[in-house]
Amino acid sequence: MNNLEIAQTPSTPEVRADSGQGRVFMSGDSYPENPFDFFQPIIDWIDDFLKNDDRPLAFDLALIYLNTSSIRAMMDIFDRLEESHLAGRSVSVDWCYDPDNERVGELAEEFKEDCTFPFTIAPRS
Amino acid sequence: MTMQQCPPEDSLERRIEAILNADTPPDGWKEALGKLFERYLDQQRLLDRLTHIADRFQAAERERSQGYMASYEKKVRQLEKIVRISDQYQTMLHQLKERLEHASNYDSLTGLPNRRYMTVRLEEAASQAARKNGNGFAVMIADIDHFKAVNDNFGHAAGDRQLKAVARALELSLREYDLCARWGGEEFLFLFPACDQTSAPVVAERLRKNVSAAPRISDNIATPTVSIGYTLHRPGESIDATLLRADEALYKAKDAGRNCAIGM
Repeated sequence: MNNLEIAQTPSTPEVRADSGQGRVFMSGDSYPENPFDFFQPIIDWIDDFLKNDDRPLAFDLALIYLNTSSIRAMMDIFDRLEESHLAGRSVSVDWCYDPDNERVGELAEEFKEDCTFPFTIAPRS
Repeated sequence: MTMQQCPPEDSLERRIEAILNADTPPDGWKEALGKLFERYLDQQRLLDRLTHIADRFQAAERERSQGYMASYEKKVRQLEKIVRISDQYQTMLHQLKERLEHASNYDSLTGLPNRRYMTVRLEEAASQAARKNGNGFAVMIADIDHFKAVNDNFGHAAGDRQLKAVARALELSLREYDLCARWGGEEFLFLFPACDQTSAPVVAERLRKNVSAAPRISDNIATPTVSIGYTLHRPGESIDATLLRADEALYKAKDAGRNCAIGM
């Protein structure tokens, strides 16, 4: 299975998905011009990993600003994780934020609300 | 499903009719009645089956619409969540914008409006004055005397504290519509709306006095004083011309020995 490497741009976050380690890293702002084009490869990668493997999948997130489409995409991703978690798969999310911007932490809490898998939110130390 | 269909010329039906019409039961009445009963039971079974099937259809339909309802409700919840999160991001951006706006218009050390903000306000005041008589205003420049000495002898941190103290004293001398900005290093610029040549010297003197009456920032640093140059904007002239005149007046105040206000 391939790794995914998407370089950061002013309107899209850096994304690294490492199938060997079972880790997905996303960092930065997200307001892509074409949200579908941007997120579909990421969602496909996640689906592939969850389907073709039974190893744990861990997310390291340092997302800052998300536009509405990106919020939706992230909720889709978390829905997938929740589904896998309920099916017995080990999945987790660590969302860290700049302590100077507490609001990002509050927003991460909103995302966490419906998730029953391990989801930690912490200021970057 | 096969249905038992009676032929149109049903003999049983006619036989039963004949039996019912007869005064006394004719021969074979019992056999005909038996057949009728049998047919009745068949119909009953058929009706039960139909009812059962109809019930199942209804139940399936109900389940289906409940399924739609559940997924509809899930979608609505999801949408509400997206909207809620999105709104929070908007609020975050809005606050960030306000912070940036403030940062671009205000001096971070003294909290006073900065040069950029003041320039816009001066231009506005000048165009208002050009449009309507009686919208005249005064411009004053105050410069801290011997400020460099504080920086050189006591360090920049002391210089910063001195600047803040002077800014505070100047700010406290203002009325609601007056404006004071940090214009440059140790220079403050004032816009006094509706200030004429009678009140300008009074106002300038008040500024000067308030600064020299300000609490000292340290025992070994002398109370700051300011030199002030002031002038009235002449309707129609450019704001640069007004500023130039205020600057000239300031030089004169410095030449006159500092800690004084001179108008031009």
